[in-house]
Formats: sequence, structure tokens, C-alpha cells
Amino acid sequence: MLAIDKKRLNELLRNMSRDFRVYAPYLENGTGKFAPYREDRELYLEMNTLLPPKDIFFPQTEKMYRFRTAGSALEIEEIEDKKEKQVIFGIRSCDAFSIDCLDKVFLSRGYEDAFYKNKRENTLLVGLACTAAGDTCFCRSMGLNPQEAVGVDLQVLDLGEEWGFEARTAAGEGLLARYRDLLRETDAAPIPTQEFKLKVDVEGVPEKLSRMFDHPMWEEISRKCLGCALCTYLCPTCHCFDVSGKVKGEEGYRFRCWDSCMFSEYTRMAGGHNPRPTKKERVRNRFMHKLCYFVERYGQLLCTGCGRCLAKCPVNMDITAVIRKIKEAEVE
Amino acid sequence: MNANPLVPIRGRIIKIVQETPDVKTFHVSTVDGEKPFAPKPGQLAMLSLPQTGEAMFSITSQGPNHLELAIKEVGQLTGALHQVEEGQECGIRGPYGNGFPLDYLKGKDLLFIGGGIGLAPVRSLINYCIEHRADFGKMHVVYGARSVADLVFKEDLFENWPKVENMEVYTTIDRPEEGWTGHVAFVPAYVEELAFKPMTTVTCGPPIMIKFVLQALARMGFNDADVITTLEMRMKCGIGKCGRCNIGSLYVCLDGPVFTLEQLKKLPPEY
Amino acid sequence: MNEITQKMRETARGLLNSGQVALVLGWEKGYPWYKSAPAFIDRGEDVDRLVFDEFCHNNLSKYLLDLVAVEGRIALFVKGCDSRGINRLIQDNQVKREQLYIIGIPCPGLKDPDDAAGKKQGDEIKDAAKCQDCRYPNPVVYDLLLGEKVPVAKRSSETQALIERLEKMKPDERYEFWAEQFSRCLRCYACRNICPACNCRECVFDRATPEWLGKANNLIENQFMHLTRAIHVAGRCIECGECERACPVNIPLMALNRKLINDIEELFGEEPAGLDPEKKTPLGRFELDDPEKFM
Repeated sequence: MLAIDKKRLNELLRNMSRDFRVYAPYLENGTGKFAPYREDRELYLEMNTLLPPKDIFFPQTEKMYRFRTAGSALEIEEIEDKKEKQVIFGIRSCDAFSIDCLDKVFLSRGYEDAFYKNKRENTLLVGLACTAAGDTCFCRSMGLNPQEAVGVDLQVLDLGEEWGFEARTAAGEGLLARYRDLLRETDAAPIPTQEFKLKVDVEGVPEKLSRMFDHPMWEEISRKCLGCALCTYLCPTCHCFDVSGKVKGEEGYRFRCWDSCMFSEYTRMAGGHNPRPTKKERVRNRFMHKLCYFVERYGQLLCTGCGRCLAKCPVNMDITAVIRKIKEAEVE
Repeated sequence: MNANPLVPIRGRIIKIVQETPDVKTFHVSTVDGEKPFAPKPGQLAMLSLPQTGEAMFSITSQGPNHLELAIKEVGQLTGALHQVEEGQECGIRGPYGNGFPLDYLKGKDLLFIGGGIGLAPVRSLINYCIEHRADFGKMHVVYGARSVADLVFKEDLFENWPKVENMEVYTTIDRPEEGWTGHVAFVPAYVEELAFKPMTTVTCGPPIMIKFVLQALARMGFNDADVITTLEMRMKCGIGKCGRCNIGSLYVCLDGPVFTLEQLKKLPPEY
Repeated sequence: MNEITQKMRETARGLLNSGQVALVLGWEKGYPWYKSAPAFIDRGEDVDRLVFDEFCHNNLSKYLLDLVAVEGRIALFVKGCDSRGINRLIQDNQVKREQLYIIGIPCPGLKDPDDAAGKKQGDEIKDAAKCQDCRYPNPVVYDLLLGEKVPVAKRSSETQALIERLEKMKPDERYEFWAEQFSRCLRCYACRNICPACNCRECVFDRATPEWLGKANNLIENQFMHLTRAIHVAGRCIECGECERACPVNIPLMALNRKLINDIEELFGEEPAGLDPEKKTPLGRFELDDPEKFM
């Protein structure tokens, strides 16, 4: 396969950044995230980023349209999307699968979300194989291959001294052809992925969950939950959003922004009725959505095994422990 | 309609009708005087005063050039809407939701049960059936509100609908009131009192009313697949993506708001 | 298994089996090995889940707000900082002392789980930042104390060092420092939700009418949120440091909270929150001789 010396990766990205807006993993103040390529910064490739790449297609705050009022008159002005050509470099198998899930949410079932679509269809994905398995990684248990990212245009493999490249789509072939002069042929073999420390069996869980809505375990596991949005904001597949606006005098704009089903007022209706009034209902809904409802609707789990939630939850709410509880639960 | 499903088009509120002390019907056209879109009975629209907010409302009726939304004052946006005057421009997008299953209802005797503002979405269906009278069997309407002042669409209840062929209208209020010689009872009790034989039913009203109506219908032997209701939830995107209005794996804005009791019984009771 | 863990289990078993309490709040092991999590035990046979180790960070007093409807007494294990949280909640009329059976654990200081990531059990791990200059490791209120009181070590901390650095900066530099920190904020509200001083029934940030703060993420709103919370909590912060530990993007919240504590000490005299449930907090009362430099 084609490869580049690890020390020259920055050169490749620099060249790429002349043709595309390149996002790559960096540490910003100790927080790993995907950020625009910068020559003077060192890439962060040891472990996965803390913040998932979903905000590249689905920003935390996104203006939708501007408006102006004058008396009873109203003007609406759409905000034009620049539709820049982009490359996300270094996306892991867990996060690549999350993009696949988000594609299903935003681009299927009757409506295509224009904001998501404009960014998504102008972006190429370059996957990065994992050789280390973090303490909280469990993508393999969710059916993913840490060396093979789903839906990417180009897959990068760790060959030791070099990064190897394998095209997965015609666009990926195009990328390799474009930067061919930086690459050379190699027959080095990819370093295999370490044994995962964290494993969980999800066999039968979606179907079993569909019969567990009233099970007493939800009361038990929801007690320690703080009801913050940490898990949902770090989760690469969570996509709930709010729609709101900002007004200044006679002008303003409407925007959408991340929201969280864990917040208490999330489903509260004008008039006060709230279908999910306590933590128990909200915690239950979150796990049911990830492991049952999404499977019913789109045919795949909404959890990629990235482990960010259980690594960072202040009360160590552990989805793998919840899955184990579900497997052990007694249900009719 | 706008190519981007989250961005509204400009509309204008051309007429406002005060139905009850806290319910007004808003007639909305585009700024060019046309119908914003052609909804099916039971579908919804997102109406906005962008400087205040946006919310989902059922479309209670439509004319050749306008849509009608009956809106009760309960919160911020509805409060602001109740303050505006005719001519106010607004944002509107839609139509959203699955609407009523018209093909399933054709040729059948129908029972419509409404409570309070819940009559609004059902009215769109009643008026459709009246317009296509020959396609539907005998129609019964049972409607109730807290008091006479709270009865919505009085013109339809007392003048238009009673004149329709093969259609019975039963109106009730919760408590006796001076000057009211009509029936006095809660809607679920009235339905049971009227002792309808099981038939296809469409019901909408406050959650508590729906709950007791469904119980009454079950006692009267009504079939789950023939009991149809339309639900309300907090909604933001209207297109089944923001995650907020889910009941299990279904989104009320996209897969609903119209559901049969048979469908609802398969869903988690979280609404 | 250490001695405290053993005593925890015995005590909990006794309390539950005798019916003296309906519920015991403690900690249990989580995953990975460097995480311990809150545990809710309501049956004697489950007490073997309880542990006390160097990762028992969670301040269990916060959960008392969720448990007001529990019939019967609630037992909870508390470290020094946690016990101050209980006093704070009593002061704010959020819990009744009689409903609680408080079991104090003198705390030797906890370890930093972020430093433990990737390491093995037995490796050297850094002290948790929040514990470095702890003034109250011994519970200040309890019905039962497990173990001997520990001495208060006079140590320096990263937080104090940061405050000193900030105090030497010019206002513009200080602004830039905090702007960089707050621009990372995700507005997840983990800090607010984990804090025992944050016990408003409806938080100002959750109100829709009027909407003081929406959910848009930008620097101005992030700053507004953090500065407002810091001021709301001022005089009531018990220095448990959970806010900073919970923050996923490592914002040094304790520098902000500690600075306000230092300022309050300077203005009103030393009054650490949560020591005396009878005494009103410095910002919750006024004296006729309060400083009035600004008037």
C-alpha cells in the first residue's frame, strides 16, 4: 500500500490544507478535539479526542436565518452556507460509525436537513486505525472494527514508522492520486489493535429492552444521575437540538443549538405537562433510545462504544454496566 | 414552501376571530395572499413570530387562500399572538405530520369526540367529511368544554353542522350555567350516556379527557384499531430530527400526531 | 479490604437490618478501577457493595435534595467537605437534621482519577487538585465517626498558585485567561448539578420566562453563566471541589470560587461555609459595621 513516513504527516496535511479545509485531532488546553489544521500545532494521535467530531457537521450553535421586523412587517433572510470543501483527518472507527448514525437521522425519513447536508456532502472522511484500546473503549463489543472505519473515503493504518493509506471510495483514490508525490509504496504490515480491556455482550438487548419499559431497574440506576448534559454533549451520536432565537431591537436571528434529553425541562409543554417529569423517565429514555428505539427505527445501535460517557461522567454512569443489568434482568 | 425545511416562509395573519376568552382562530396567508401549502386534515404547521418564538399548531381548517389555526393562550408565543392585530406578518412552515387516515375512514359511520381546544384538529377532518359527504356514513359529534364561554367554533356547533345531512351534534358543558338549556356532563360520561354502538372514532382533547374517553370506549366495546386520536407534544424542529417529541421510536411530529389506540398500546406510555 | 470499608459495611448492615434507617448513601466501585461512584443501598444484604478508597470523590449530601420524599431516616457517609455540604443544606432549610444519620469518615485526601487513566493499580498517582490544601478533612457534623481524626496538613495547592498568578496579572490579561477557559465550556451544567450549594428549586438558567440564558454556546453566554453561578454560590461554597472535578474540559473553577472565598474573608472576616448550621452566611445577612467602601 501507499504510505508516508510518520515524521512527514504534517507535510501531507499542509498540502491538503491548501486544497481543503482540513480538520485534525489536536489538544487545546488539554482537551482533545477536532480543529482546523494549523501548521505550528502538534497533532494529537495517541488516543481519541474528548470532543467528538459531530460538531463539524452539526455545530453546537448554528444560525439558521436572520429576520427583521418593522411594525407588523417581517423580513426573513436565509444564511448562505459556504459549502467549503473539507477533509476530516484521523476519525476513529467509533466516530466514523457515529457519522453514519447521524447521516441516518439528518438525511433520511422524509426530510433532508439542509444545514447538515451542505457540510456533509462537501466533506471527505479519512479514518484512522486504533492500535491502543483505551480503558473505556469497547467499540468491538458494539460490532465495530477498530482498524476499519465505516463509511470513510480513505483509511489510515499504523505501520510503525509509517502511516499506510488504503482508499475506500473513488474520492479516496482521488486524494491519494493528488498527493501521490509525498507517498511511497510499502509492504510493512499494520500493527494490530491491543486486546480490549472493556467488553460487553449486547446480543438480544434491543429486543429485550422493548419489553422492559416498566422494569424496576430504571428507578435503581437513575438515582445517582445528576441530570447534567455531559454524556449527551460528549457522545458522538447524540443529536437532540433546540430551536431558539436572539433579538436585538428590530433585528435578530433564529438558531438551533445542542440540547439534552437529560435536562428536566426538555419535554415540558407550555401549560406545564411534562411526559418525563423525573430523572427515572429521562434516564430510561436515554438508554432506550441508544439501545432500542434507534434500532427499531434505523436498524442499528446508537452507541458506538467510544466510552467517552463512562470515562467522564461525574458519577460513573456506565452504559456497559447498564447493558449487563439488562442482560441479567428478569423479564416476561 | 421553503427548500430548507427548518426555515419558514413569510406569512400574514389576515383575520383573527375570538372564539372564547382565551382561544383565537388565526387566518394565515402568504404575503402574496395565497395559501401557504395544502395540508391534509390533521396535519400541523409551525407558526412563528421570530422575535418571540415558534410553535407547532394543528390546522383546523383551510380556505382557497388561507389556513386557519385555532390557538389557545398558554405560554409566551401564544400570549404574543393573542396581542397582535390583523395584518401582522409571521413565519409559517409545513405541513407536518401524518394527518388522519382518510382512506380508512371512507364509507364508515364516524364518531368525533372533542374537548376544549381539542376540537381544533378534529374540525379539519369533520369539515373534510362534510365537503365529501357522500364518501362517509352517519356522523356524530360529541363536544364539550368547561363552560358556554369556552365552547369553540360555536358557528359550526350550533348553525352549520346541525344542518348537515345524516349528522348529529351533541354539545355539553361541565357544570350547569344560567341560560344554557343543553346537556351538562363531562365529555367521557356523555359519550357513555349516548351509548353509541362501536364504530370508528376520532377523539382529541386534554390528556385527562382522552384518558377517560378511551376507558369509556373500551367499556362500550370499541375496537382499538378504530379508535383514533391526535396527540400533542413539545416540538421544535417539526421534521423528526431534534429528538424531543418521541414516544418510543416514533416521532409525534413525523409519524404522528394521529395514532390509533392499537398503535399507542404498542408504544411506551410516555405522553 | 481496608478497615474503613469494613466498618462502613458493618454500620450500614446494622442500620438497615434494625430498621433504623430506610436508605444508606455511600460509594461503590465503578469502572475503570480508578472510579468510585455513589451507591444507594436500601437492603442489608447489599452492603458489601460499599467501599471507601482514594477515589470516593462524590459529595453525597447533594442527593438529599432528591430524597425529601423518603419515609424514614437516611444514613450517609461523609468526608470533611461533604459534611459541610450537609450543614449548608440544613442552613438553607432544604433538609432536616433529624432525618439524617451522618457517618463521618476522616479523609486522608483523594487521588486524581485523570492521572490514573492508563496506569495500573499500585502505580503512583497524583493527589486530587481539590484535596491539596484541604482545611477540613475531618467531618464537622456526624452521629458516628469511623476511624481516627486526621491532622490538617498545611500544603500548597495548584489552585492557590493559579490565584496568585492571576492576582499579579493586569485586568486585560486576567480577562484573556478566563475567556480562554470559558470558551471551552460545553454548558453541560455538570458543575451546577453536582454542587450542594446549588440547590434552587428552579435554577435561573432553566427558566424559560424570562429566558435569562438560552442554550446557545458562545463566549458571552458562557461567561455570564459561570460568573453568575460563582456569585450565587459565593459565601456558600464548601470547597469540595466537585465542580472542577466534574468539568469535562478542565476549567479551573475552584480558582474562581476560592478567590471569592478569599475576598469574602478579607471583607467580612473568616467564615468558611458549612461549619455552623446556626450561623447565617456572610452574604445572607448584614451587620451595621459591614464595609462600605463603594458607597
